[in-house]
Order: sequence, then structure tokens, then C-alpha cells
Amino acid sequence: MEQAYITEGTSIDKGENARLSSFVGAIAIADLIKTTLGPRGLDKILQKVDPSDQSITITNDGATILKSVHVDNAAAKVLVDIAKVQDEQVGDGTTSVAVFAGELLRQAENLVNNRIHPQTICDGWRLARETARKTLEEAATNSSEDTEAFRKELMEIAQTTLSSKMLTFEKAHYAKLAVDAVLRLKGSNNLDHIQVLKKPGGSLRDSYLEEGFLLDGKSPGVGQPRRIEKAKILLANTSMDTDKIKIYGSRVKVDSMDKVAAIEKAEKDKMRRKVEKILGHGISCFINRQLIYNYPESLFAGAGVMAIEHADFDGIERLAAVLGGEVVSTFDRPDLVTLGECDIIEEVMIGDDKVLRFGGCKSGEACSIVLRGASSHLLDEAERSLHDALAILIATVKEPRTVYGGGCTEVMMAAAVDRAAQETPGKRALAMAAFATALRQLPTIVADNGGYDAAELVTELQAAHAAGKSSFGLDMEKGCIGDMKELGIRESFASKLNVVMSASEAAEMILRVDDIIKAAPRQRSEMGY
Amino acid sequence: MVSGETYNERSKGKDVRTSNIVAAKALANAVRTSLGPRGMDKLMQLEDGSVLISNDGATILSKMNVLHPAAKMLVELSQAQDVQAGDGTTTVVVLAGALLDSASILLRKGLHPSAVAQYFLQAAETACDSLKQVARPVVADNREQLLHAVETCLSSKVVSQNTDLLAPIAVDSVLALLSSNKSNRTIDLRDIRLVEQVGGTVDDTELIHGLVLTKGSAKSGGPKSMKQAKIALLQYCLSAPKTDMDNQVVVSDYAAMDRILREERKYLLEQCKRIKKTGCNVLLIQKSILRDAYNELSLHFLAKMGILVVTDIERSDVDFICRTLNCQPIAHPDQLDASKLGHAELVEDVYMEGGNNTVVQFTGISNAGSTVTVLLRGSNELVLAEASRSLHDAQCVVRCLVQEPALMAGGGAAESRAAMALRQHARTRSGQDAYCWTAFADALEVIPYTLAENAGQNAIETVTELRAQQAKGVVGAGIHVKTAQVEDMFAQNVVQPLMVTTSAIRLATETVAMILKIDDLIVVR
Repeated sequence: MEQAYITEGTSIDKGENARLSSFVGAIAIADLIKTTLGPRGLDKILQKVDPSDQSITITNDGATILKSVHVDNAAAKVLVDIAKVQDEQVGDGTTSVAVFAGELLRQAENLVNNRIHPQTICDGWRLARETARKTLEEAATNSSEDTEAFRKELMEIAQTTLSSKMLTFEKAHYAKLAVDAVLRLKGSNNLDHIQVLKKPGGSLRDSYLEEGFLLDGKSPGVGQPRRIEKAKILLANTSMDTDKIKIYGSRVKVDSMDKVAAIEKAEKDKMRRKVEKILGHGISCFINRQLIYNYPESLFAGAGVMAIEHADFDGIERLAAVLGGEVVSTFDRPDLVTLGECDIIEEVMIGDDKVLRFGGCKSGEACSIVLRGASSHLLDEAERSLHDALAILIATVKEPRTVYGGGCTEVMMAAAVDRAAQETPGKRALAMAAFATALRQLPTIVADNGGYDAAELVTELQAAHAAGKSSFGLDMEKGCIGDMKELGIRESFASKLNVVMSASEAAEMILRVDDIIKAAPRQRSEMGY
Repeated sequence: MVSGETYNERSKGKDVRTSNIVAAKALANAVRTSLGPRGMDKLMQLEDGSVLISNDGATILSKMNVLHPAAKMLVELSQAQDVQAGDGTTTVVVLAGALLDSASILLRKGLHPSAVAQYFLQAAETACDSLKQVARPVVADNREQLLHAVETCLSSKVVSQNTDLLAPIAVDSVLALLSSNKSNRTIDLRDIRLVEQVGGTVDDTELIHGLVLTKGSAKSGGPKSMKQAKIALLQYCLSAPKTDMDNQVVVSDYAAMDRILREERKYLLEQCKRIKKTGCNVLLIQKSILRDAYNELSLHFLAKMGILVVTDIERSDVDFICRTLNCQPIAHPDQLDASKLGHAELVEDVYMEGGNNTVVQFTGISNAGSTVTVLLRGSNELVLAEASRSLHDAQCVVRCLVQEPALMAGGGAAESRAAMALRQHARTRSGQDAYCWTAFADALEVIPYTLAENAGQNAIETVTELRAQQAKGVVGAGIHVKTAQVEDMFAQNVVQPLMVTTSAIRLATETVAMILKIDDLIVVR
């Protein structure tokens, strides 16, 4: 029937089929990443198949996995999307959000098979969501007033985040790195000020926090000072070969060699004047984004100024922010230019490489974290994990409320939703109960991944909560339940709330679908590039 | 405790892990036979048909072109060890293979992979701590001790018969860097320049407190050697002027052509005279891609003026040359000044016999910077390349000792000592960790085992004898491959930097932990 009005190649899935396809896709995606969940979660290798690029990535980060996999299922794409949004908003909990949405849909599948209308399920879920949110808000604590206690909480949050990553074995070390870095920001919350530099060699424990900024692989020109104290720095983006006339085909016509020599001299003079103008700013260090040729380099050397060429784009933008200067490209008005400042510039060795260190920067917030590790895969994953930790810490500084981790809040929310379900008449109660079951699936999966008897543990946990031990959760070290307060397992309220809210909204959205219309793929011409 | 505390793996996770372990072990086995003084070398035929012979783990692996993800990680592992310690690149891979072997047995017993990974990392720390306690401190400037460590390192290389010559060169070259800056203990090995010249034998290799440039002086009839040299490094070009803009010289008649030629002569002569005026008698000219750095005419003038000219200096070398000769580059004729010149007692062309090549040597440099040059000789490219790699390894050994001045006995003594310490610790504990620690100790013993095996000894007998000696408290007990006996290696002066062993143990364990934690392989775009 559809063939009458749609373009050839377009396909439509209807009703049962559409829903089935959504469920299958979303649940498959959730199943794919659920083994990465929790402190004993395992990692995945992502292998590229492009013949020119067969590189591999090893990761535990849900967002990275989901971003990379190739999915051709509408519902699965929604899950990938919410993981991405979670990654951008709070930086952590990306796996949880996708897994929770998948579990909700798994429950919904049963309900639909029992002839409950999707809209009724959605209604029930909404009630459940509100209950969950209230419970979570009540459970959240805030100790941002007390600096010491807050720092301790941040440490706990960072450790909890890192415990599921590759860095879990060195989590105390890295948690300290991350907390120190974030606290240096003093609430400015600009992740750009934290630079992460990866240097192969050394072991993970050798990673450290460097106050100040590190410029990788650059060194001052020949004969220039290698170390400057109380530096005044001019950041520029200008050509330091010759200022050419930018008209295509412009050329000079002369009739003698002397005149060519004269023009050459004029060009050199022009460059010399440019350097003099730059020096007129009273600087001791000049950093250019473009190359600095031999002649200007030697002029800078003569003036005792450190000149650094070819600083990459990221580097110079960040330097500008960190040093408090601005990037300039004309040098006529020295009085209008803000120069960057720092206490010391020096060369330091990391492993086999030399880097340039800018210490005591104008904006004291800046710092660099130098990551060391046995291989680039390890370093890449360490960077991703550290990024997650930094992001969640920044989110916590913004929204200082925290909750207990280890499945504690999930079980608590599930219990509250169950209670609310008992008071709700009608089919909606079934949907609410399903919501609670899905919530309890999260600790179940974590325990499962740890190789423990999940059913046993989660039921014990429920009993503990019913008995009023509201801070109890899973102790994955020992494989039993324990007091999260004592174990110091803590999570960010914002992250947890976001997981519950966006996962249930996404699941709702997928559930309400009854038609999937796939547009015909665009025809590629044979003659293409 | 909760009942049923074993880990039932999903079949897929198990398959992926098994495949990773098998691939990594295969790679480790491939390099295993090159370990130790009696280890054999590998000959590799590269894609472009050229041939490479090496005993260096990092070099072998980097050329192997592996496909399997886990194997790639092992390749990177050996490179990380190369960066960190410079030596022990084979050891680290063999160790990783053995650790994976042990781990696969533990997994079969139902231990959780991430638990195994965690306990392994703890065991690695304990092993390194136990080694630190028994290591012998060295004084970094004690040449004698450094020599022994370097000799151990070189004994397993292709050039082992030249150890007597190469070991002092390696030690002296690094110490030369140190002597100039006492305060700074970081050593940049790039300050040691290895110049490889085919011809002669490895025996002709020498350490030169000066500079060697691989391209001989310009063949334009100028002088070939210069005493009391005043050296200028030119960064501008001695050729007909050229503007950065396009330029066109319009010639209207025959007379104009003559005039232009004359002008060019005059221009160049003027340039050369200005150089001569500074008192310069050796001229280095930087390579230029924009225009000719020199032309026949300017070389002719310079030759007439009695200036020795070396052309085609790479820009990347300018920094090194300047620091060595203590001179300043000259980027513009206006900057020509006697103060920017470097001074050397002697600059001369040296003909490299057998290689049909000439190099320029600079010796007796006044106020020389903290750089040295090693002129490596060898009868063919293959020997030369391997000698260069071996020398680099040897220099890394010295660098390690400067950074962490502690020595451990070689010949598998360190590994069996650590294994013993772990077994002792394991006995005091109960639970899974004790089990993992024992497995870790077994894996460590792969090093002495392989050493003995490669030397053609009865490996089991030797290793058990080694264990017995260590248990008696002989810290330095190791396998002396030359006498095929277990002896105190400290007494035999077979020693290696502690850092090489500890870094190998740590890096290998980190990589193994990573491989163990993988349960899935996803193909992505």
C-alpha cells in the first residue's frame, strides 16, 4: 500500500515490527557496553577496519565505545546520543545512562507483551521518575561550606569514578592529581586551563601535576637564552619570513643584478624593522604560531630574546589564556597590547623529550598534568579516564551535592518507587514496578561483572535498606554489602540525576514509536571521486 | 562471604582474552631466543627488500609489522622500555609473555581477570621494593662500576667482541656530558652525535671531543685542512641575489647581458670579501631550499681566499653545531663579526678508508660545549647500524645509573631474587592474592630460565640451583653464561642498572593488566 506514495527504496516498519526493532537495537547496545560497568568492569578493544588505518583503541569509557561503533538502528542511535549528551554535561556516567535506558526497555518489552499500552507505561514511568528524583534529592548531602570535608568528598568522587577505569590500581594517586588540578581552577571551571600531556615511558605512577604550563616539543632558537625569569611574553600570529604582497602573480621587473640585490636588501630591512617593532614591546620572550626564519631568529638572539616558532594552534590559544596575554598580528601600538607574564620559562626533560615550562603564570589556575605510561593505548585511556574525573569534579564544584555510590541510591530509589507503586491504582503501578526493577538492574550488573552472586547481593542490599541502613551499598573489593560512608564511595548528585532523567526520557521516547520510516539511501554516482 | 564466588565468563569475553594471550605469547616467543649473551640475532627482510640484523628487542619488534591488537601493545611496550631505560627491551616482552602465561592458568582456575590484574600490580611493586633493598649503590662518576654495567649490556649484542672498545666510549661520552653541568643530572643523549661511516671495522670506532660532519669539504680547489681555524656558520646564501617576490631581470641587448654577469661576479666577490675580513678561514653554509645556498663562482672565490668550505648543513643541525663549536650562526651579511666565530685547533678532511667518503673533523675546540661525537666504523651497513643501536643501549645504561645510582647483579639474579621475595611474602598471606603472587614469581623466573636455555644448559637444573643459591642468601647469584655455572655475579662484575629491571617489571605488568582487562573486540569505522 505504501508503495503508492513513497519513493522507491524507502522502507516503513509498522507497529509490532517497529517496536520490536527498537527494543532489539537498544537492548543490544546496552548489552554491548554493560560489561564495562563497575570497578570490575572489563575493557573493549576498538579495532578500526579502514585499510589505511588499522589502529586500535582500548577503552572502558561508554561514550568512546558508543561514539565509535557503527549502528544502523534508530533506537540504538538514540542511546548513543544520550551517552554523548551525558558525556558533555557531566562527563561521567555515560555507560550507566545507556545501560539504564536499555534495562527500562527490556522491562517495557514484557509489559507490552502483556498488552499494556505504551502510553500507560510512559505515564507510570513519569510518576516513578518524580518519586526517584525526590528520593535522590532527599538523599543528597552538601558539605561545600567546609573546605576540608569538601576536599575529602571530591577525593572520594574522583576515586569512585576512576575505580571503574584502567587507572583503578592507581586511583588514589590520580584522584589527588585531578582534585588538585580542579581546586586550582578556583571555581573558574575552565577545563582548557588544565593541560594533559601524554609522554610514553615511565609507569602510570610517575604521572604528576606540574604547576604552570608545558609547551611540548618546542625549544628556543639558536643562541637564545634557555631560561628566563620574570618573563614578559608577546604571543603573535604573523609571518616571520617576509611580508609578501598577496596579489597573485605580482613580480618585480629590473634590468640589473644590483637592483635585485637592492630589493633583497629592502626585504631584509623590512623584516628587521618588524623585529625591531616587536622588540619595542619590551619583551623577553616572543612566541609565534608561524615559522621564524633564520634572519629574524638571529636578530632575536642578538637582542637576548627567546623566540619560539611554530607553536600549534591549541598551544597558543591556551598559552594566551594562561599567560593572560593576547595573540596579536600587528605591532604598531605597543601600548595597546597586553603582554603575557610568568615567573620563569625553562627547558625541562620528560622521558626523552624536552618541553618548555612556563611557571608561575599570571592566571595561577593553570596547570599541566603529565601522564606517563607503558604504551600509547594506556596513555590514551588514562587521558580519557582523567578527563572523566576532571569533568565530574568540575560538575561537583558547580553543584556540590553528593550521594552515595555502589548501588546505594539505586536501591533506595527503587524502594521508594515500589512504595509509590503500591499506593497507585491501575496499570500504571505495573509500569512503576518495572521502573524499580530496572533501577535495581544497575547494581545487579555491577555485581555480575565482579563475578559475584548478583541476586544474593542485591537482595541483601534491599534488606539492609529496608532495615534502615540507608548508606549501604556494594563493596566490590570484598564481594559483600557495606557502608558506603565508611568505604568512601561517593558520586555526584548531578551525574546520578542526569542518568535517571535522561535515560528514562530516552526510553520513553523510544517506547512511543510505532512507525520507523527509513529514507532511501542517497544514490552515489558511479563516476564519483 | 557470599556463596559461589567464582567468575563464569561469557564465552565471547573468554575467546577474546584467549586470542589476545595467544598472540602476545607468540610474539614474546619470537624474540625470546635473542635474550642473553648466547642469544641469537634476527635477520629481517623489510618491505623494500633491505635487510636488517639485530639483537635489540625494540628494533626487532618495531619492524615486525604485527596485526593483532594485543601484539601491537607488546610492540609499544618494548618501545616504552626503550624510552625509559634504553636497555632490556627484549626482557620486558619476554616477561610480559610469561606473565600472560601465568595469568591464563589463574583464569582457568576461576579467578576474576581484574582481580588477577590488581594482584599482579601489587606483586610488581613488592618485587621492585625487594630489589631496591638488595641493590648496590654506585657513585655515578665511578668509571669502573659504570664500565662493568655497560659490558654486561653489550655482552648480548652482535658487537660483543668489541666490548673492550665500545664500553669505554659509551661511558666516557656520557660522562663528558655530565662533567660540564654538575648541577643538572638530566642527560639528553641527543647531545652525543653518532656518525656512522662504512669502511674499516668496528675496532676503528673512536670518540671525538669535537665535531664530525659527514660531508667533506667542497671540492673546489680550496684547502683541505686548516690549523687554528676560525669557523663561521652562514645561514644566508652565497649565490646570485633573489627576492622573496618573483623577480625578472629584463635583458634588452647583448651589452646588458655582459653587464649583468659582471654585476653578479662583483656582488659575490663583495660577499666573499666581507667574510674574509672577519678573519674566518673555515666556512659552514646552511642548506637552503628556496634558492641555491652557494654556486660554483662563490666557491671559487672562497677557495682562492684560502677558506675551507663545508656546504649543505641541515637547519636542524645548526643548534648542535653552534653549541659544539661555541659559535653564533650568521643570518645576514651585516651580522658578520669576529665575535660570532668559533675556534678550533684543527679542521681537516679525513678520508674514510673502504667507505670512499670524506668527513670533516673539528678538534681542539676552544670553550667547547657539552657535546661529543662518536665516529662509528664498520665493514658494512648492517654491522654499522647494529653497532650504533648497541652503543645507544650502552649509553642508556649509563644514563640510567646516573638517574638512579643503583646496581643489581645480572644473569637473572635480579629476577630470581624478586621471585624469591614474592614467594616468601605469599607464604604469609591467605587468599587469592597469595596465589597470584606465586604465579607472578614463577613468571619472573622465565628470565633466568631463558638465559640458561639460550646458553644450551639444562635449564631446570640451572634454575633450581640458582634458587638454592639465592635462598642461601647469595644476593648476586646468577647464571654465568660463559662458565655455565651459577656464581655470584657481583664478584664476576656482571651487573646491570636496577632501573632496567624495575622498569621492565613495572611496564610489563601494566601492559599485562591492560590485556587481561579486555573482554571484547569491536570493529569500528
